[in-house]
Amino acid sequence: MRLPVLFALITALHAQSLDPAKLAHLPTDSWPTYNGDFSGRRFSPLSKINAANVNSLSLSWVYRVNGGGGAIKATPLVVDGVMYFTVPDKVWAIDARTGREIWNYSWQSKGGMHIGNRGVGIYGKWLYFETPDCNLVSLNLSDGKPRWHKSICDLDQLYFGSVAPVVINNHVIVGVSGDDLDVPGYLESRDPETGDLQWHFSVVPKPGEPGSETWPNAEAMAHGGGMTWVPSTYDPELNFVYFGTGNPQPVIAGKRRIGDNLFTESIVAVNLDNGKMVWHFQSSPHDTHDWDAVQTPVLIDGEVNGQKRKLIAQASRNGYFFVLDRATGQNLVSKEFVKTNWSKGVDAKGQPIPNPAKEPQIDGALVTPNQGGAANWPPPSFSPDTGLFYINASRGFSVYYIYDIDQKPEGWGGNDRGGRAESMLEAIDYKDGKIRWSHKWEGSGIRSGVLSTAGNLVFAGDPANNLVALNATTGDPLWHCNLGNAMSNGPMTYELDGTQYLVVGAGDTLYGFAMLSK
Amino acid sequence: MPAPKFLAAFLLAAAYLCAQKPGQLRTIPSGKPSMQFPDAPGRDTAQKVCGTCHGAEVVVSKGLTRQDWTQVIASMVTRGAKGSDDEFAQVLDYLTANFPPRTKAGDFGPSQLKPQQRPSGATGVGSDDKHVVDAEAASRGKTIYAAECVNCHGTTSRGTDNGPDLTRSLVVLHDRYGSSIGPFLRQSHPMQSGGDRAKLSAPQLEDLSHFLHQRVDDVLRSGPYNKVLNVLTGDAHAGAAFFNGAGKCGTCHSPAKDLAGIAKKYDAPALQQRFLFPQSGGFGRRGPGAARPNAVTVTVTVTAPSQPAVSGVLVNLDDFNVALRDSSGDYHSWTRTPSLKIAKHDPLAAHADLLEIYTDKNIHDVVAYLNTLK
Repeated sequence: MRLPVLFALITALHAQSLDPAKLAHLPTDSWPTYNGDFSGRRFSPLSKINAANVNSLSLSWVYRVNGGGGAIKATPLVVDGVMYFTVPDKVWAIDARTGREIWNYSWQSKGGMHIGNRGVGIYGKWLYFETPDCNLVSLNLSDGKPRWHKSICDLDQLYFGSVAPVVINNHVIVGVSGDDLDVPGYLESRDPETGDLQWHFSVVPKPGEPGSETWPNAEAMAHGGGMTWVPSTYDPELNFVYFGTGNPQPVIAGKRRIGDNLFTESIVAVNLDNGKMVWHFQSSPHDTHDWDAVQTPVLIDGEVNGQKRKLIAQASRNGYFFVLDRATGQNLVSKEFVKTNWSKGVDAKGQPIPNPAKEPQIDGALVTPNQGGAANWPPPSFSPDTGLFYINASRGFSVYYIYDIDQKPEGWGGNDRGGRAESMLEAIDYKDGKIRWSHKWEGSGIRSGVLSTAGNLVFAGDPANNLVALNATTGDPLWHCNLGNAMSNGPMTYELDGTQYLVVGAGDTLYGFAMLSK
Repeated sequence: MPAPKFLAAFLLAAAYLCAQKPGQLRTIPSGKPSMQFPDAPGRDTAQKVCGTCHGAEVVVSKGLTRQDWTQVIASMVTRGAKGSDDEFAQVLDYLTANFPPRTKAGDFGPSQLKPQQRPSGATGVGSDDKHVVDAEAASRGKTIYAAECVNCHGTTSRGTDNGPDLTRSLVVLHDRYGSSIGPFLRQSHPMQSGGDRAKLSAPQLEDLSHFLHQRVDDVLRSGPYNKVLNVLTGDAHAGAAFFNGAGKCGTCHSPAKDLAGIAKKYDAPALQQRFLFPQSGGFGRRGPGAARPNAVTVTVTVTAPSQPAVSGVLVNLDDFNVALRDSSGDYHSWTRTPSLKIAKHDPLAAHADLLEIYTDKNIHDVVAYLNTLK
C-alpha cells in the first residue's frame, strides 16, 4: 500500500483537488477516476436511486457540447462537486449539480485520429488528458489553464492519444492508440508534476527477452502492435497495475508473424513502481481478427471453492469471459459469453486455441464474433451484491478476407465485410462463467458502458437509444428514457447534498438525472 | 433502382462538383477536431447518421467506389449506425458523389491542393502537415526507385535480405517531400548506379519521396489492396446441392425466377456478401447506380386488447414501445404492456439462421453455383 506517502500533501489542498485516499473504494460524493475507483467494478454503493423507486427518476440537467465532432465517450469525473469530461481536443468543467459550464479548454491540434477520447485523470489540483496529436496535457483543475504538455507518441507512425490517464499515487498511467501502421504498443508512467517519463512498458518483447520465442524474428517484434487503448485498473495491496493489450500487427494478414505474438492480446499485470511485468494471460493467441483484449480487467474480491480469492475478470472482445487469480495470473474460468466459431476450445492454461481455418482467407471465412467483437471498449460492471458481471454484449457475423497476397503483407492486408449482429445485456456469474440472465435487445449495435449500484440496479443503453435501468438480480427492465442518440459512454453516479445523480452521455450531450428530494 | 432517380442524383452531384475546385471537398481545416461534413446534397443526413459517433474527418479523407462505400455503411450498421433505409441511401449517394476513389489522375496533385490544406491523413490519422502524395510525382519517383533502390529494397519496397523495409522506415515516415530522405541519401548510401552517395537532384529526391510515401499509404485501410480478390473457389455442383438440400434456399428462391441472371447483376464477391447478409445492402451490383442498401421490410402485427390487429412495416421496437407504418402510409405507435400482442415477421430470418450452419465450403460452393446463373 503506497497511498499514505501522498496523503499529507494532497489532503492539505483546497477545493477542486482530489484526495487519493478516496480511490481505494468508490466514494459516494465523487467519481474521481475513469472507472470511479481503481477496481474497474463501476459499482456504486449508493442506493437512493433503487429498484423500488427508479420510476421517479427525473431529468435534472442537460449539457450539450455543440461539437458536431462525434460522441461523448468519456466517463466524466466528479471531484468536489465539479464534473470534468472530454471529447477529442476539448475539456469541460461543469457544475455536477446543475450542468452549468465553469470552464472549457481547447487544444490546438496538429492532427491525429479524432475518433474518441475516454476522459481525464486527476491528481491533487491538476487534470490530465491525452490529445489525438500524441500529447499528454496537464491543466489547472480550478480554471482549466494549461500547465504543461508532453509528447507521448509519434504522429508520423500514426499513433494517437484517446485513453483516459489513470493517476495512481504519483504515477500518471498513459496508454497509446493506433492501428494503421505496424508499430509497437506500450504503456507509460509519467510524473504528475512534470510529465517526465517514469517507466515505459513495451508490450512486445525485444529479441532474447521472455515472449520473443512467440515471434519469428526481430522485425516482426519491432512492428508487432499491442496498443493500450483502455484505462488500467489497480490493486493497492499487491501494487499491481492491470491492463489489456491490443491486437498484434499487421492486424489481419498475420502470415509474417507466425506464433502466439506475446504480449499482444493479453491481460497484463505490472508493478506500479517500475512497470515490470509480473504475469500475463493471453486472451487471443496469434489474433488475426482485430479482437484486441483491452476490455477493462475488473477486480473481484470473490470466493472460489470456499476460499477467498483476489480475482480479475475480463469479458473479452473475442467472446470469452476469463477469470484469473490477480496475484498470479492463474486461470480459473474461460467460458464463452457469446457463442463463437473461431476456436478449438481452450488449452491447459485456459487460453483459447485459434482454429487456423477461421483466420482471414482470400475467398473469405465466416467468423463470429465480427470485428466489432463480442465486447469492445465500453466498460462493464461487477456488483459484489449480486456477484454478477454485467456486459453489454454483441454477437455478430462477418466474413474475413485477405486482400494483400504479398509475401510480406503490412498494415491492413485484409479486413472483414458485411455482417449481422444481435445485442444483449448479460449477467455472468464470475464463479463459473455461466450466464445467470441475458436480456436480449431488439436491434443491434449498441456499445454502451454499464453501471451497477447497491440499489439493485443496472444501467445500460439499448439499440433504440434508450437509457435503461434493469433489476440487477433478474434483468427485468424497470425504467427507461429515450435520449435521441445511442448512449456513447459509461454511466456514472454520485451523491451531492443528499441527492443521488446519474449521468450518461449520448451523442454530443450529457444528461444528468437525479432522485430529487420531495 | 429507377433510372431517373439515379440520373437526378448524378446530375446533382455533377452540378455540385462542377461548382467546386477539384479536391476542395477534402479540405479539412487544420486541427479542427469537430469537423462537420462538407456541404453537398445529403450532407445533413450524413451528419446525422455518421456524426453521432465520429467526426467527418474519418470519412472525408477516404475515397472509395460506390460498392466500397456500401460496404462501409453495411459495416457501420452492424456497429450501431442508426438511420432509415432512405437515410442510408442518401448517405451512400452523398459519399459516392463527393468522395470517389482518389487514384484518378489529377485528383490529388499539389497543383490543386496546397499541403497546408490537406486532410488529416489518408485514414484521418497522422499529422496535419503529413506528406501528401502527388501521383504523377510518385510515378516519376518509381522510375528513380527502379534505377537506384529496387535491387536491395525490393519491388514493393518492403525490404529484402540486402536492404531494410522502406514502408516501415522512420526516415521515410518522418520525411516531408524529401526533407529527410534527401540528406540521408546524399550523406552516405550506396546507389545502384554506382557511388557511395546519391547524386539525385532535389526534384528527383522529392519525386522519390512521393513514391515511398505512396507505398506507405498503400498499406492503409483506404489503400488499393482494399478489395476482395477471388471468392470463386467452390464447386458449383455442390453449391446447387446445398441450395436445393441442406440450405433449403429453394424454399424461397428459384434459379429460373428471382435468381435468373443474378450473376449478371452482381459480381462474385457481392453475391457472396449478399446471400450471407442480405440485410446489408446491394453492394457490387453490376451496372450504374444500382447499389442502394436494401429496404429491409420487417413487418409486425400489433393487437391491443379488444382492438383489431394492425399490421405494417416495423418502424421501432424496444422493450417499451412499438411503432409501425401501415399499407396506407399511416403511422401507429403503442406503449408495450403485457396484454399488447406483438408478432414480428422478418422475411430474411432464414438467412440469419443459415449463418449458424454454413461451413466455409458451403458458402464458396453456393457462390460458385450462383455465379453460373448468368
